[in-house]
Amino acid sequence: MDVVNAEQARIAEEAGACAVMALERVPADIRAEGGVARMSDPRMIKEIVDAVTIPVMAKVRIGHFVEAQILQAIGVDYIDESEVLTPADEEHHINKHNFKVPYVCGARNLGEALRRISEGAAMIRTKGEAGTGNVVEAVRHERAVMAEIRRASSMGEEELYAFAKDIQAPFHLLKETARLKRLPVVNFAAGGIATPADAALMMHLGCDGVFVGSGIFHSGDPAKRARAIVQAVTHYNNPKILAEVSEDLGPAMVGMTIDKLKGGEYAKRGW
Amino acid sequence: MAPSNIDTTVIIGILALQGAFAEHQTAIQQLALPRKVDVLLVRTADELARCKALIIPGGESTTIALLARLSGLLDPLREFIKVKPVWGTCAGAILLAKSVHGAKRGGQELLGGMSITIARNGWGSQVESFEADLEVTGMKDPGRPFTGVFIRAPVVLTLEPAPEDPPIQVISRLSPSLLPCSLTSSNSTNEPRTFVALRQGLHFLTTFHPELTRDNRFHEYFVRECVIPSISTPRP
Repeated sequence: MDVVNAEQARIAEEAGACAVMALERVPADIRAEGGVARMSDPRMIKEIVDAVTIPVMAKVRIGHFVEAQILQAIGVDYIDESEVLTPADEEHHINKHNFKVPYVCGARNLGEALRRISEGAAMIRTKGEAGTGNVVEAVRHERAVMAEIRRASSMGEEELYAFAKDIQAPFHLLKETARLKRLPVVNFAAGGIATPADAALMMHLGCDGVFVGSGIFHSGDPAKRARAIVQAVTHYNNPKILAEVSEDLGPAMVGMTIDKLKGGEYAKRGW
Repeated sequence: MAPSNIDTTVIIGILALQGAFAEHQTAIQQLALPRKVDVLLVRTADELARCKALIIPGGESTTIALLARLSGLLDPLREFIKVKPVWGTCAGAILLAKSVHGAKRGGQELLGGMSITIARNGWGSQVESFEADLEVTGMKDPGRPFTGVFIRAPVVLTLEPAPEDPPIQVISRLSPSLLPCSLTSSNSTNEPRTFVALRQGLHFLTTFHPELTRDNRFHEYFVRECVIPSISTPRP
């Protein structure tokens, strides 16, 4: 769950979050305020680390390996090399093998996911379209990844060589993915998840867990909504429990339609 | 007990509220066992009631405990632990402890079952996670070390079995040199902080993640030593 201070981090921990993302502005505010979005103040991240017992993540700009060195030095648990911040490099992502701290990276399709894994990402998430409260792009990305995995797993080796070239993915990772019939790393949903039903939908599509950003603290009752989304991820396959936890949550974040941003605005960042 | 019980499938539950339950499922399914074993992912009290044994996976102990409470599973789990074999890995080991250090503010709920005190997150942040070779004397192929994967792992602080409790048996130890500096009090191999796998009665605890390796000797041990004997022995 995205949090901007120690108090929100405590609410997230009490609601059952298994990690928090420490950042100065949630994506909806970055979108509204504009300007260059950068790594957060290390002091603010450390305050959040001290406030909770669960792991703390923080974001760096795409390609900005010095921001990442700083986060590793202050002891964050995971780094998100994120398209939500303004990219620092329009050609290169961080060589994540040079770090001990694990990374999560966004992807819109299988090729992008496997390129990030080959650079050293330990976790993949959909990009979705952060800060919109609209799940449509996250659905597009997860469906794309899973459809390509299903295609790859029915291919012969010669076809896999051609497919790897096609989607610009390293062959050995594509072959491993085809064998496993899933990404070889943990795969999260992110970007636009605002309700328990959104979270459950992403789990059905093949995700292992869910990031909720602006959807919690831009809603009417953050503690209650956070707890409901935590339960929805566990019980995604049980509509009766989903109905119970979806009741009486107060207003969801307002959200945006994506007609003008079709295919995503932030999601196009990353190469 | 009626011999028909011998032929039926043994259902081993894996608590699937949060964490590494899928990896445990794969490991159990790959075992070659004398009894037919099925895995059931447990998210409700009804599912728990069908199980003969339970694995509580790694994850976040705060998240798992909260979800257990919200799913109406806390009391059924505590009752289950009184009579059936349970194995806790990492966060699961924390939940099986009698008391915990480093709980979240305001404290956190535990299930109990093993007479130990445990500290959460003994080594620090994620970058302090590590792998270490462990000796596994009571397992298959004991000459081959087991790769222990320690991720924000807990540390056993003290063993406190009451006179009526079953004795606690140390199954595997970590070299004292690998203990976090903040926790090293002596170099003795009988220091509880070096204990990374323990057995007490029906229960089994590992502070590391055997499900994240391809070596399934710990899974085999749990089923062979804890689960199968508990089923074959007639209960009064």
